[in-house]
Amino acid sequence: MNILTADQEEGLQEIANIGMGQAGASIATILDEFVVLSIPNVVVLKPGEISRQIVNIVGDEIVSAVRQAFHSTFRGEAIVIYHYHPGENIADLMGYDPSVDTIEEYEIILDITNILVGACLGGIAAQLGADIGFSAPSIMAERVPANRLFSAEEVGTSCALFIEVNFALESRNFSCHLLALLPEQEVQILARAVDQFIEKFG
Amino acid sequence: MSVSVLVVDDSPLARKMLIKALPPSWDIAITQVGNGLDALAAYREGGVEVMFLDLTMPGLDGYQVLETLRKEGLNCLVIVVSADIQPTARERVLQMGAIAFVKKPVNAAEIQAVLKEYGVYV
Repeated sequence: MNILTADQEEGLQEIANIGMGQAGASIATILDEFVVLSIPNVVVLKPGEISRQIVNIVGDEIVSAVRQAFHSTFRGEAIVIYHYHPGENIADLMGYDPSVDTIEEYEIILDITNILVGACLGGIAAQLGADIGFSAPSIMAERVPANRLFSAEEVGTSCALFIEVNFALESRNFSCHLLALLPEQEVQILARAVDQFIEKFG
Repeated sequence: MSVSVLVVDDSPLARKMLIKALPPSWDIAITQVGNGLDALAAYREGGVEVMFLDLTMPGLDGYQVLETLRKEGLNCLVIVVSADIQPTARERVLQMGAIAFVKKPVNAAEIQAVLKEYGVYV
């Protein structure tokens, strides 16, 4: 699907890279751990392709996920996907006892999501000269197979922009994936902002 | 005589942004490459005096490039340019021989200050 030009896609990847760096630094500071970052993945998908893309990224695993809507000049939803029992591996870094219960695990992943989404999407919006606001994060899925995390009906448009960044702690068994999903009509707004960014800096 | 500058970043836009931030009056000959392997190849051809190096790249990343350069006897000034703004990332690359860490999005004044400090641009 080509609703973004190659230049816009490349621009968005670099903008996402800067947002990812800010989110990585935020989480590194809070957890006092080094965060390994990867290259952001920017792709336009049909709704039916999103689930397969998620499996490609996280593997055929049991995951939990937190969703958080964002509203700027463009709107969308961020989803942070965590591998099985995410809280246990970082509980002590967050000030919890390592044997966390379900409620505490929710608190941990809601907090981490809030920090990552705020810093990453905030960084992206800042590059584009836009203000951004966020809804409260909420648990989207708890310990489900990755291929059942997302249904095509949830998107409700013919295509969606999928931005993925990956965060992993170097010395802990903990990693998560931040997805930003924007429906087609919002992608057009974002694309214009990216054009202005490229015109200004490129 | 122009200063030989190598710009290493997988993003053509990021390379463009960096080159735009270099002092306009700096007499340089710029080579651009999009990955770590090509960076090493360009370096091994000889003559590179200043390298602007991204960290997060496919294949050989910036850390691996720095590590290889160090093993081969680092013979150019490496300025790391990265969006990975963790303090530890900065510490690591400086320990590995980079002279400076410049965060993305790049700031012309910051780059100019580094170049002046090392006497490659006056």
